[in-house]
Amino acid sequence: MDDERDKKPQDTPEEVDASRRTFLRNLGVSAALAGLLSSGAILEERRAKRAEAETLQAPPAGAAELRGTVRITLNVNGKSHTLEVEPRVTLLDALRDGLGLTGTKRVCDRGSCGACTVLLDGKPVYSCSVLAVDAQGKRIETVEALAQGGQLHPLQQAFVEHDALMCGFCTPGFIMSLKALLDRVPQPTEKQVREACAGNICRCGTYNRIFEAALDASRRMRRG
Amino acid sequence: MKSFVYHQPKTVADAVRLLSQRDTMAIAGGQDLLGAMKDGLFEPGHVVNLKSLPGLREIRETSSGLQIGALVTLTEIAEHPVIRRDYTALAEAAESVATPQIRNVGTIGGNLCQRPRCWYFRDPHVHCLKKGGDQCYAARGDNRYHAIISPGPCYIVHPSDCAPALLAFGARVTIASAKGTRTVALKDFFQMPDKNLKGENILQAGEIITQITVPKPPAGTRSTYVKVREKDSFDWALVAAAVVLQIQGGVCRRASVVLGGVAPIPYESAEAAKSLVGKTVNVQTAAAAGSAAVAKATPLEMNAYKVPMAEAVVKRAVLAAAGVTG
Amino acid sequence: MPQQKMKRVKTTITVNGETREVEIEVPDIEAQWGDPSNMRWLGKRIPRVDGADKVTGRAKYTYDIQLPGMLYAKILRSPYPHARIRSIDASQAERLPGVKAVITDLTREVNYVGEEVAAVAAVSEQIARDALKLIKVEYEPLPFVVSPETAREPSAPRVTPQGNVRGGNPRERGDVDSAFSRSDVVVHEATYSVPPRSHCCLEPHGLVCQWQGDKLVAWASTQGIFSVRDELAGALNIPASNVRVICEHMGGGFGSKFGARAEGVICARLAKMAGAPVKLMLEREEEQLATGYGPGVTAKVKIAATRDGQLIAWESETYGTGGVWGEASVPLPYIYPVPNVRTRHFDISTNIGASAALRAPGHPQASFVMESAMDDLAHRLGMDPLEFRMKNDPNPVRQAEYRLGAERIGWQRRNRTPGAGSGVVRRGIGMASAVWGGGGGAGSRPTVRIGPDGSVEVRLGTQDLGTGTRTYVAAIVAEELGLDIKQVKALIGDTDYGYSGASGGSTTTASVAPAVKMAAMGAKERLLATVSQHLQVNPADLVLADGQVTVRGGSARTLTWKQACALLGKEGIEVQGEWNPNLQGSGVAGCQFAEVEVDTETGKVRVVRIVAIQDCGQVMNRLAVESQIYGGVIQGLAMALHEQRLYDEQTGRMLNPNLEEYKLPGSLDMPDIEAIVYDNPTGKVSGMGEPPVIPTAAAIGNAVFNAIGKRIHSLPITPAKVLEALGKV
Repeated sequence: MDDERDKKPQDTPEEVDASRRTFLRNLGVSAALAGLLSSGAILEERRAKRAEAETLQAPPAGAAELRGTVRITLNVNGKSHTLEVEPRVTLLDALRDGLGLTGTKRVCDRGSCGACTVLLDGKPVYSCSVLAVDAQGKRIETVEALAQGGQLHPLQQAFVEHDALMCGFCTPGFIMSLKALLDRVPQPTEKQVREACAGNICRCGTYNRIFEAALDASRRMRRG
Repeated sequence: MKSFVYHQPKTVADAVRLLSQRDTMAIAGGQDLLGAMKDGLFEPGHVVNLKSLPGLREIRETSSGLQIGALVTLTEIAEHPVIRRDYTALAEAAESVATPQIRNVGTIGGNLCQRPRCWYFRDPHVHCLKKGGDQCYAARGDNRYHAIISPGPCYIVHPSDCAPALLAFGARVTIASAKGTRTVALKDFFQMPDKNLKGENILQAGEIITQITVPKPPAGTRSTYVKVREKDSFDWALVAAAVVLQIQGGVCRRASVVLGGVAPIPYESAEAAKSLVGKTVNVQTAAAAGSAAVAKATPLEMNAYKVPMAEAVVKRAVLAAAGVTG
Repeated sequence: MPQQKMKRVKTTITVNGETREVEIEVPDIEAQWGDPSNMRWLGKRIPRVDGADKVTGRAKYTYDIQLPGMLYAKILRSPYPHARIRSIDASQAERLPGVKAVITDLTREVNYVGEEVAAVAAVSEQIARDALKLIKVEYEPLPFVVSPETAREPSAPRVTPQGNVRGGNPRERGDVDSAFSRSDVVVHEATYSVPPRSHCCLEPHGLVCQWQGDKLVAWASTQGIFSVRDELAGALNIPASNVRVICEHMGGGFGSKFGARAEGVICARLAKMAGAPVKLMLEREEEQLATGYGPGVTAKVKIAATRDGQLIAWESETYGTGGVWGEASVPLPYIYPVPNVRTRHFDISTNIGASAALRAPGHPQASFVMESAMDDLAHRLGMDPLEFRMKNDPNPVRQAEYRLGAERIGWQRRNRTPGAGSGVVRRGIGMASAVWGGGGGAGSRPTVRIGPDGSVEVRLGTQDLGTGTRTYVAAIVAEELGLDIKQVKALIGDTDYGYSGASGGSTTTASVAPAVKMAAMGAKERLLATVSQHLQVNPADLVLADGQVTVRGGSARTLTWKQACALLGKEGIEVQGEWNPNLQGSGVAGCQFAEVEVDTETGKVRVVRIVAIQDCGQVMNRLAVESQIYGGVIQGLAMALHEQRLYDEQTGRMLNPNLEEYKLPGSLDMPDIEAIVYDNPTGKVSGMGEPPVIPTAAAIGNAVFNAIGKRIHSLPITPAKVLEALGKV
């Protein structure tokens, strides 16, 4: 948890709170992005709740309580996004419905399957079991961040080549769990690979090929 | 999930004040609570976020032992070098919890306070005894995962992995309330259903665990946690045992044996511990400890298998703790 | 097209997982897949063409579709296993801000927990959920029964007016009674059972529906876009031509995702009422309660063989439940021919919702019953169980597979006497066999289009369940046209493309691949005809390979692919293909060997290794075929050790409608798996999604028997059952 405090994210809620200019800029970015990604429902929900929001619009951070719809800032894949959510909205739903990042999948919505795995400050978590408001001030990484400049991450490349996926619905979750492992342990054993994805379920039955792919990716990454 | 007001107290005093109000629940890692709220099992109008409280995220070593803040995650416990070395059973228990994702978020305080997994309790449409109804459905229903040791009238098993390990080390918990803080032995923290039907422990509204204190084990202490589950990836214990032994000159001087998965609370078997003290640990004495641990078991219709399983788990844990190959 | 010769062929068709044989007339056209060793793509290991989309999160599943102004729908479901609905009051829900449409006319009586009662569409999922809580339903609970054992009792509540027990007519051949009473036979009797299992598709069932005037566009997570189209059209009383169904990617079906289903019609209705697109994806609990399951079976079995090991008689009485009206029959006796047979099957009506086809419907259950009985009988005969099977199995492919599998697993290491090992942890080895049709059917209408710019497209209204359909569709065309697979764009998953049937019964590849091959052949023929005119050579002397057209016999005249295509004129070439039975075959064979460790103190079974051998005729994509074998084995392992739907008789409710207590194995539970594609040079392509799931559970059960000398008669093989079998409980 020490590193969490050391790495001060660019857009902590405090800063948002402190600077109304930043606040508006972020809101603008968010609205444009939301429109672009056709998150109409979120916008309409916002309209439906406008009256409530106007009276209850409490700044999210430093506030004693969050009530109704609150404005939050999430640092996702290196970019900060501002959106409005109720405190009960999970990080998963904020990513998918709010930001249009649908690579992260919803399968059980109860922290049992791993399809919604994202990295929070580098650690895999179930985004269905984290509240969006609690993810503020943390580095959030989703599967969308892995491929750089059209180039697949070695783990993604290995998944494709080893056919470590079939229907593909569990795949982003497995990739995020294993990405966290490879970031921490560049040369894992098969046992470590298995342990790293023990919180992910695949129904098509790709486990053995996922192990192969992860070990192969580790070799590729070490070769550079 | 019902809409709620999310409180962000900055001090423990504020937190416990908020929590003493009606219709309010505390959340830390939320790995149990959020699912239960989505299921409609709990529908609090107010949720108090403990994660914002300062000073509860550290593991401190002192001359008398360990102080573990209630917000320390299970991953941090499992990976802590001192815990791995001197409190092995605790590290192993934490490492056996659920999945990496849950251990990265779930806290030690939450692990001790999590609610039972009994499928009747978890079903919001079943109004069971524990929820104020008039019957325990497990008593006559599908009780394959339920208690083999319980005074009744409820037959849940306590789901915590860390609790048996902490109990075996003689840990104490610090409880904060509006009146201040108090410290109680973990063995006095958990309550059987004949004492407390609706909860599993002594916490009252407006009380939270802030810290767990684990006394420094005497020289020659060795420990382990053994857990048997139907599958190895994400499953609850059918039976588990934490065993802490102090061995001097090949003879067991002190022992504690605490079982998980067998009773509504982490079940400390004084009989098993007693059977080991003064003996050399070997296959025979370990097996005797296993038998002693289940001497009081009265299984339900579908869970008699837990009796021989618990015998074996205790035997193995004793042998493994002592470093004796079976 | 010239006048075609026709021929009559027998083929299997699969509708909602029910496979039956029909005879049809089809064009008789000479066509061959050719020698795999000369091929660049087919039969090789081809990474799936949509792999990059799936690993980056770019692939859009139905769940990921977001449309401007889209609403979210939720369904209110019955908490009771059987109840009459006295009244529904949705007025409060309708008044909740953000709620746009409410449906309450779905039913007046519910027959299982989870049956649809009402539905709402709202501007967010949270509001839709809030609205469900505001709908007041007054139920009159009625008597119910959820266990088939209880339902068979005369005193049980009647689930249907006709009672709870259906079927039971004996099916008989030979002289069963005299075969059993012969003096030279050994008889074995026992009861074996398999519990109902859930599909657990990771992407739930669901749709996004958008009306454009009187036309409906539906994105659906489905195994059959055309069956969804037809069912939606039927239910909404509009022409099928007004409905377009799209399924670009889908997250697993396993037999549970055929028609439009209740949620499909609800979604389309809500979208119409609200005048906005609606997304309706089921939640995990709804998946468990209301999307079907593979039924269980209990089989009382009597089996006999002569002392030298020739099967001679079989008698079985089986029952299972598929809900109120569903069926739960299993094909018995299974695989091994028995001359004298009597079987009776009863379908029991219960209040648990309707079953659905689940990967090889009835077969894994039949396999567990038959193969357990075979092993037990071999034990009584004092015969090696593999030798016993080899003696009774006329299939030459499996005979070869038996020898290969025995070698790969190290069959000689098994306990000669079951349970003969010593120590706390016992090892054992067992095996079982698989059979499946896997033939194709007519109907697919793929189009291959070659543009004058050299672009190649193949379009077909089939769908890729994760099995790799899209990839072999592209590969077949690339192979035929001598191109890199990247040059072929395979467009599937849209009813605007040519018709193709639902993907079920392992019939997809044998239906789709021949038709795509014929379309590609036609396109190639047309292209070469144009080129031959241009080069003034006989088309038969042209060779299309490696992205160029060359002339046989050393001519220097060579055209690149682009140059050749440029000759086509603006319109390019567009050729439709039809299914050709000469390219497909049916009847695939497989067997699996399992090695296990059984902890005799905790009762826990660990599968150490599985060797799975499977033929599927001509291999399209070896990598994908292997993946299907892995997948089958892993689902079979789950069935063997973990999976079961549990219902509470007191409340009629499912105890484990989730992915926590409904146990699926994970990474730490995986054995070493050797997936062997048995190359069977038939020159015919067959499907094989189903066969590799069939024998795994039986092989594991037999390995446990070999390890501890005790038969576990019911699945899953839990620690509780093992400890009980060992006499420790």
